[in-house]
Amino acid sequence: MMDSLIAIAAITGTVGIYAAAVYIYKKFNSAFTIPIIIATVIIIAILLAFQVPYDTYMRGGEWIDHMLGPAIVALAYPVYQRRRILKKLLVPILSGTILGAGVGVSTGVLLAKWAGVDQLIIHSLAPKSVTTPVAMAITDTLGGATPLAAVFVMIAGIGGVLISSTVMKYFRITHPIGRGVGMGSASHAIGTATIMEQNQLAGSVSTIAMVVSAVVVSVITPGLVAVLM
Amino acid sequence: MLKVCKIIIQIAFLYGIYLIGQWIQEALNLFVPGSVIGLIILFILLSTNVVKDVWVEKGADFFVKHLTLFFIPATVGIINYYKVFSGKGFFLIVIVLVSTVLVMAGSGLVTQWMMRGKEVEHDG
Repeated sequence: MMDSLIAIAAITGTVGIYAAAVYIYKKFNSAFTIPIIIATVIIIAILLAFQVPYDTYMRGGEWIDHMLGPAIVALAYPVYQRRRILKKLLVPILSGTILGAGVGVSTGVLLAKWAGVDQLIIHSLAPKSVTTPVAMAITDTLGGATPLAAVFVMIAGIGGVLISSTVMKYFRITHPIGRGVGMGSASHAIGTATIMEQNQLAGSVSTIAMVVSAVVVSVITPGLVAVLM
Repeated sequence: MLKVCKIIIQIAFLYGIYLIGQWIQEALNLFVPGSVIGLIILFILLSTNVVKDVWVEKGADFFVKHLTLFFIPATVGIINYYKVFSGKGFFLIVIVLVSTVLVMAGSGLVTQWMMRGKEVEHDG
């Protein structure tokens, strides 16, 4: 009884806070009010304030989490709708994405090495630009710590969303295709979900970048890390 | 009401494709997650006209519109790792962010530069 009450409270609470976050974003339209950022911050604040452990929240949260799988599958549809434009631009999209995959792994490893970070952490940080399960599998192959890999993926995702508008403005990436490649390559599915809310063409490009970069990063990382270390 | 029923049936259909993706991932022991395999399967089925776009349109629109909602439970999970943010760990966050900026700018700029001269309609 208590369990299902907790589950219902967590589900309705998450959906309600998400709806409020979308409303706030429409009103203020700033990087700090992007729905995923604001909803995550509010829920964490509530859990901390009432000392609710994450596992308790997940008794309801797991139901929403479980729908993430089919939600990712659904991304095929907007890409399919724009297949003609995307096919024409496939070479620039793939080139940017492949370059981004290489930049992500090499700069992450080099910066960490330069800062004198442990090898275990470097191996967990190398695949941070790709979606969580892929990053964890790569880290496992390298001999890093998989829970740590998931945290770095999260930082690249949430952090990337937070700084994206500044980065796009500063580097003058104005075209939705360029923005989509940047978001999908740097901030995987979290970036894709966010840019999809703003522009479906950019979101479709971001979906392609996310999928391609997952494959490219898993192929190049072991070799690249061996060379750079 | 009919519209709600349609969305629910289509979500169930998308869920079925996700399960097939999961199954393929486990059977072949692939590193790509089941959801991404499902995404590729759905794209192929739509492109070959095996699945008509009207079969998934409403359900897919629902998911795509509210995609960020489904990430929230996972992002809240960062609460278990607050220790990473303290002390020397703060430096790791800076490293990840700097690398993320370089990826975003590098990949976006290369794509944009390679597209110069090509006109593409913006569809919002």
